[in-house]
Amino acid sequence: MAALVLAACGNQASTPSASGTSPLLIGVVAPFTGVDAGLGPAYYAACLAAANELNTNGNIMGHPVSCQQFDTRGEPADAVPAARQMVASNSNLMAVVGCTSDEASSVVPIIDASHIPMFCMTGQSEFNKTTYKYFHRLVPPDQYDAFAMVGSALYFNHYSKIALVFGNDIGSQAFVPPAQTAIPKLGGTVTINQAIALNQSDYRTEVTQMLATHPDVIFTEALGPADATYLAEVKQLNGGKLIPFIGTSATVDPQWFAAVSGAIGVDNLVNNYQAVDIGTTFSGPGYDEFVANLNAAASKFPDAPKYKQRASTLHLYDGLLQAALAMNATKSIDPQVYNAKIKEIGNGVSGATEVHTYKEGVDAINSGKSVRLVGAGGPTNYNQWNNSQQGYILVKYDAQGNEVTIGSLTQEQTAKIIAAGGGG
Amino acid sequence: MDLFIAAFGFGLVSMSVIAIAAVGFTMQFGITNMINLAYAEIMISSAYAAYAFNRSGINIWVSMIAGALFGAVFSFLLNRLLYAPFQRKGTSLIGMVIVSLAAGLVIANVLLPIVGYFNVSYKQDPGPTIRLGAIDLTTVQVLIIALAVSLMLLIHLLLTFTRLGKAMRATAANPTLARNCGIPTRQVIDIVWLITGALCGIAGVVAAMNSESFAASSGAGYLITIIAAAVLGGAGQPYGAMIGAVLIGEITELSAAVISPQYKGVIAFAILVLVMVLRPQGLLARQGALAAAG
Repeated sequence: MAALVLAACGNQASTPSASGTSPLLIGVVAPFTGVDAGLGPAYYAACLAAANELNTNGNIMGHPVSCQQFDTRGEPADAVPAARQMVASNSNLMAVVGCTSDEASSVVPIIDASHIPMFCMTGQSEFNKTTYKYFHRLVPPDQYDAFAMVGSALYFNHYSKIALVFGNDIGSQAFVPPAQTAIPKLGGTVTINQAIALNQSDYRTEVTQMLATHPDVIFTEALGPADATYLAEVKQLNGGKLIPFIGTSATVDPQWFAAVSGAIGVDNLVNNYQAVDIGTTFSGPGYDEFVANLNAAASKFPDAPKYKQRASTLHLYDGLLQAALAMNATKSIDPQVYNAKIKEIGNGVSGATEVHTYKEGVDAINSGKSVRLVGAGGPTNYNQWNNSQQGYILVKYDAQGNEVTIGSLTQEQTAKIIAAGGGG
Repeated sequence: MDLFIAAFGFGLVSMSVIAIAAVGFTMQFGITNMINLAYAEIMISSAYAAYAFNRSGINIWVSMIAGALFGAVFSFLLNRLLYAPFQRKGTSLIGMVIVSLAAGLVIANVLLPIVGYFNVSYKQDPGPTIRLGAIDLTTVQVLIIALAVSLMLLIHLLLTFTRLGKAMRATAANPTLARNCGIPTRQVIDIVWLITGALCGIAGVVAAMNSESFAASSGAGYLITIIAAAVLGGAGQPYGAMIGAVLIGEITELSAAVISPQYKGVIAFAILVLVMVLRPQGLLARQGALAAAG
């Protein structure tokens, strides 16, 4: 009897059998409230689209998949209990997505210790050579975003005087040091560096200070209403004219577009804004399947279709499909078994069959082939630290808020900026 | 030098927004003995109420009336349905603070799924820029300042020269004695919630107009500033809240011009702490709530 009680009190329920039909859960660990509340929905949309893809194509070896939000509020203090509660109360977690720069440092160790594969949207450099085995990153480090912004300003637009206006949150401030290092080394000038508080109702004094430095361009990432308020005040205090501004990949986002276009007008946004984004073509069979799934996810999350051109949504969707195919390939739903296979599904091995959808992948695996998923976001190239990078494109918005590619940085340009900025 | 003058001008706008909000907040405390931490969430809810009208093509200044009405009715109902029953049971002041904190969280979390995650902006024409030396203000900002001054004058006239104002002050000073003197204190308190709720609603709309963009999460940012202005001036004192708003508004903007904008909140609240250490009752507090109104 005592043995029975002790067994029942084990801290983790045993892993469900691969042959059963028990449900599996994907945890979306991200801010859904607070100033970075715009991030969580993009990742939740990725999860719902992936779950739809899996569940309409035979589930994962019969196991249906669902998504659950775990709100970190963008604060480590809230993120830790959220992550602990997630792993303690869900023995059927197959993967976690989200883990932004706001909370990655505090939640990644918890998730890794629980042996749950995760696909994180953090650009923090501490994960460039991470030892966490279950960590996967399908986006470049933030410092590379900053380097791409520098390249866009100096080489593509030929601006030289640059104002840095970033939110004072952890995620946004990660862009500042690499930009400050690279700009002067490449012949540019940082006219001012402002760390603005995200929850202020106005920034007029800050804008007046910035305008007095006469920059050619503003680099920015201040999420929530901050960028909208700041840029509207730039327009007001600069005689009705905006200064060109270049955003990080996080500003390529329907919420950011809605906020800023509402404040400064669509035409002003279209004509003055550029951003750097992770190289994505938004085309191909993997992308078409993703869009169909995203549209289907609207029944559970009406805003889901708005994320069809958000690179992070595409990449997290791909990550989840990689995990699902790894489970099929190993015939296991035990993360300790299939985790190592994820990298192989992403990178492919010699002779691997290229697949674009979950169904194609399962069919190929069932016929004895090894597969490489080239999904919605294109090919994955994990390095030894499970970091995958795909280069950068330069983008702008059209009047409907769709991303339009306007250029890209050559490898030589990128290498030169990275070297100047001290990037690895 | 121009930057300091410009910052002073921006401070006038900030203090106007804070003053409207802080006077309503401090009157609620002064007269009904309720520190209403749900105040900022009602502000942002009212801003969205005005937004609904504004997006249907109604001028923002007319929509502001809808925001004020929403704030008034919401605050009245919140008191009648939630706060008053707890107060009648003798819940302590700190207990009421916790109740209002919970109410604020409930409002915020109900509001979010209704209005969504997206930031929104009013359709408003800022009008021509009015230049006074180094101070550049839009017509809308000048009107916000004028509105704040008008509302402060009205509050002064209400408290000083009307029977209702005298009844409010009597209720604030000693509700039992006021009731025994024939003052219908319950009705007075209802009216206070309606008036302060309207101020709360107007404050939410002007704050959103001034910010150009707002979201459901914007409320949390307002509350700290409002409390700071109210406490700095003397909790429960409408005139104190006005002075607190002036100081917080100007200190915030001028400190941004002197040092990094990153620290402007820190400087404002450091001065608040200093005042609290040197004069814990606030700048204007005498004996009893609303004493300064007399």
